[in-house]
Amino acid sequence: MIAKSGEPSSAPVGAVLVLGGGVAGIQAALDLAEAGQKVYLLESRASIGGTMASLDKTFPTNDCAMCILSPKLVQAGRHLNIELITYADLEKVEGEAGRFRVRIKRKPRYVDPAKCTGCGDCATVDVPDPAELVEHRGELWIRRLDIDEVKCTQCGDCVRACRKENPEAPAMGSVHHRQSEEAQPGRRTAGADLRDLRNMDGAGRLAYWRRHMSRCIKCYGCRDVCPVFVESECRMEEWARPGRLPPDAPLYHLARAYYIAARCTHCGYCEDVCPGDLPLRTLVDLVRHADPGDLFEFVPGLPAAAGRRMRRAFPLPKKAEGTA
Amino acid sequence: MSPAFILTTCPFCGCGCGFYLVVVNGRAVSVAPCFSDRVSRGGLCIKGRRAHEFIHSKDRLRVPLIRRNGGFAEATWDEALDFVAGKLSAIRSVSPDAVGLLSSAKCTNEENYLMMKLARAVIGTNNVDHCARLCHASTVAGLAAAFGSGAMTNSIPEVAEADCILVTGSNTIEQHPLIGTRVLEAKERGATLIVVDPRETMLSDHADIFLRQRPGTDVAWLNAFMNVIIAEDLHDKTFIAERTEGFEEMAALAGRYPPGRAAEITGIPAGDLAAAARAYARAGSAMILYSMGITQHTSGTDNVKSVANLAMLTGNVGKACSGVNPLRGQNNVQGACDMGALPNVYSGYQRVADPAARAKFGRAWNAELPERPGLTLCEMMEAAAAGALRAMYIMGENPMVSDPDSNHVRRALGSLDLLVVQDIFMSETAALAHVVLPGVCYAEKDGTFTNTDRSVLPVRKALDAPGEARADWEIIRDLARRLGSGAFSYASPAAVMDEIAATTPSYGGISHARLEAGETPAWPCPDARSAGTQFLHKDRFARGRGLFHAVEYRPPAEETDAEYPLIMTTGRTMFHYHTGTMTRRIGLLNHEVPAGYVEIHPLDAGRLKIADGDTVDVASRRGEIAIAAQVTERVPEGTVFIPFHFAEAAANVLTNRALDPEAKIPGLKVCAVRVTGRNGR
Repeated sequence: MIAKSGEPSSAPVGAVLVLGGGVAGIQAALDLAEAGQKVYLLESRASIGGTMASLDKTFPTNDCAMCILSPKLVQAGRHLNIELITYADLEKVEGEAGRFRVRIKRKPRYVDPAKCTGCGDCATVDVPDPAELVEHRGELWIRRLDIDEVKCTQCGDCVRACRKENPEAPAMGSVHHRQSEEAQPGRRTAGADLRDLRNMDGAGRLAYWRRHMSRCIKCYGCRDVCPVFVESECRMEEWARPGRLPPDAPLYHLARAYYIAARCTHCGYCEDVCPGDLPLRTLVDLVRHADPGDLFEFVPGLPAAAGRRMRRAFPLPKKAEGTA
Repeated sequence: MSPAFILTTCPFCGCGCGFYLVVVNGRAVSVAPCFSDRVSRGGLCIKGRRAHEFIHSKDRLRVPLIRRNGGFAEATWDEALDFVAGKLSAIRSVSPDAVGLLSSAKCTNEENYLMMKLARAVIGTNNVDHCARLCHASTVAGLAAAFGSGAMTNSIPEVAEADCILVTGSNTIEQHPLIGTRVLEAKERGATLIVVDPRETMLSDHADIFLRQRPGTDVAWLNAFMNVIIAEDLHDKTFIAERTEGFEEMAALAGRYPPGRAAEITGIPAGDLAAAARAYARAGSAMILYSMGITQHTSGTDNVKSVANLAMLTGNVGKACSGVNPLRGQNNVQGACDMGALPNVYSGYQRVADPAARAKFGRAWNAELPERPGLTLCEMMEAAAAGALRAMYIMGENPMVSDPDSNHVRRALGSLDLLVVQDIFMSETAALAHVVLPGVCYAEKDGTFTNTDRSVLPVRKALDAPGEARADWEIIRDLARRLGSGAFSYASPAAVMDEIAATTPSYGGISHARLEAGETPAWPCPDARSAGTQFLHKDRFARGRGLFHAVEYRPPAEETDAEYPLIMTTGRTMFHYHTGTMTRRIGLLNHEVPAGYVEIHPLDAGRLKIADGDTVDVASRRGEIAIAAQVTERVPEGTVFIPFHFAEAAANVLTNRALDPEAKIPGLKVCAVRVTGRNGR
């Protein structure tokens, strides 16, 4: 990140290329992207994941490898600041630090990923030698990248199947073409929001959250769909006065965020189902960075201890009136 | 066993959110979001998220019940249906019009169609109605007069893209949550939000301009809006000249409502009125959302006509992100109206009084059809109390809690020779019945709902019916056969829909096969090639030209006096649905709002020596209830608010059954009451 004239800048400049989509590359890409950088993650195989994806256990803890890796794969795949460039190799690097130009060679493929809808029709057509390709059947387009170029007879049936399903914009065909692209600047992310929020004072931060939380319709969806939330351990119902809309901010949301902070996988499902479009992941991030111990003498996963401190910090109005 | 995911439509409000019902081992265990759904986009409200919980309630009705010796005795389907058929045919042979049928906005289109067919073709009466009478009867009447079609003109996704949204008489976030969040989305994008409501709501907290009128004075502020727009030359003259008629009379009348005069009537400051009118008129596309606060008045039809005037005056009809958008309350109230479960029209609003329509349906059903329009819901209650109506057949409605003046409803239903109630729970109304027939809920049958923006949505069977309960369409079919009809040989709801498509032009292109293919066409959808209609009145109004009505302000039917000094208005909360038969069986919703309450302004409470949480007595000229007080500035001084979900503290014991003269909708939103604390006694 280049700072302008010595002053700290919150606007990141340029973009970052991460070479290799194994777990190390993915983690590097995620950290950079969360800091607001645009990241191009280059992988020579058809999909990211690397070696760890094929391991059963991880040394020395015997943890399940996919349990660690798969949330990161999902995150990297859906992050607005990460662009995956798979099935491609780095050919040339020019320039100097802060001003690199790279040439990337995309390996020939039969599917344009921007147009592919994942319908899978291409994988269901009869192929001349079914025994060779049967393992690819019924899979998503990414399988088509693995077509064995030696065995492929170029019959074109898969291309026709694609045309039939998507007459407007067929994804298959000869999509070999040259393209040149300037590195894009990073998009404003939860990470950028987070940085700003951390620079705000308490009042500003509260105003930010009150503004967003005023759109909450108390559907409990963020809790209901959360894979790590255990209702019997943290009853969100107790954190806001019943029957009030919007629910008491920020207690209702903070209770959930602190409770899941340590185990949140960042899957984003809470934001997906939120009808009020609240930045729920940012809240969890903030809660992670703003040390709960400092704020609330809080140990994540122990809601009772947090409760006393949080309730003291944000007392519910005594009178019936006055929702946030 | 692996879970099954069944895509179906939410059974609560008119938004029509789609979701997956998750079924494991024959039990619905949860609701999963459907991200490709047009309305919900994966989000749901608290009710929808728990739409699976009431399905397996222990107190679901499982067997038919017949009243014997003062109590209910279990019966077989043959016994129960023979009993009902016997009684009904005896009454029918004396006078078909002594039978009244209430259809249900909770049931599917197919079932509503069969219900109205049962009434007209088998029993021979037009006395068929349903709860739309209590919510949007004035919309159907008012918008039909102004535009020629009484439904939401635009679609739900357009809300998020409007430049200006005027919300009046609708607590949108609580009553139509997934439309409410779209209003907030539009606001985030920079739209101007105007809220006109006597009560502070979650939406009014987000409003750019919030106007609080006195309940029942809507025509006055609407006329003042138009006064300002015409005076400042902000009206769309091209649109008025090319597409409408009756402008001169309306303009002359609006001229008599300057903001100053409206301010006296409504209590809204004149400056705010003018500012809001300008904001609405200047917006590129302005949408009006309204609901019960406009319709549930004795001047309901007038209110609706005024709203239509305002939209036409500014050219905000027949284009995207604009229009007049009544938000229909029940999941299928739009469909029940479309299917002709109304006393004056067949399906697709084909008038009973029109000989051609009557002949067409007579041929289709092979029956002689009655020509006189039937009684409306409230008129049926009057007729029952007076002895003219001898039998009622009520499907999936709970008039004991939902209809105005509950004591009168109890007397009316009590004086019937035969009361048949078909429901999924022993509701307050079912408890009065002679025969109770167990129907099934949305998860146990196939069919379609039509949501508030006219889209026809699939309802899919995910579970088997509990006990011996049967799908409502099967019950009606079997009863009709017992009453001697040969025109009820349906094998499935899909077959019923085929008949609907054949007899109803606006549903002509709709079939279950199309819905199975993932389409949700909005009517009018005249044939299989039509993709449906996103917004109505595009190049011409359904009636040809839009008609302006000059509407004079009339005060509400009931005014306050020394004995009953406060205005009571009724409504709903986010956390329950209507009479609570379903939602009060859901744990989290009961945690949120366990019992009824009356909202009262701190100044009124202070005068009456009432503290927050006190039990108070609320009395009107018709009855009295005891209820907990909630002291809050959400209601204006002089007005109290009671949600009507709660049978033990039923707001409708108090409400007035005075009717709008045209639409016959009761003025549920305004009645005069007295509140008494118990401390002073």
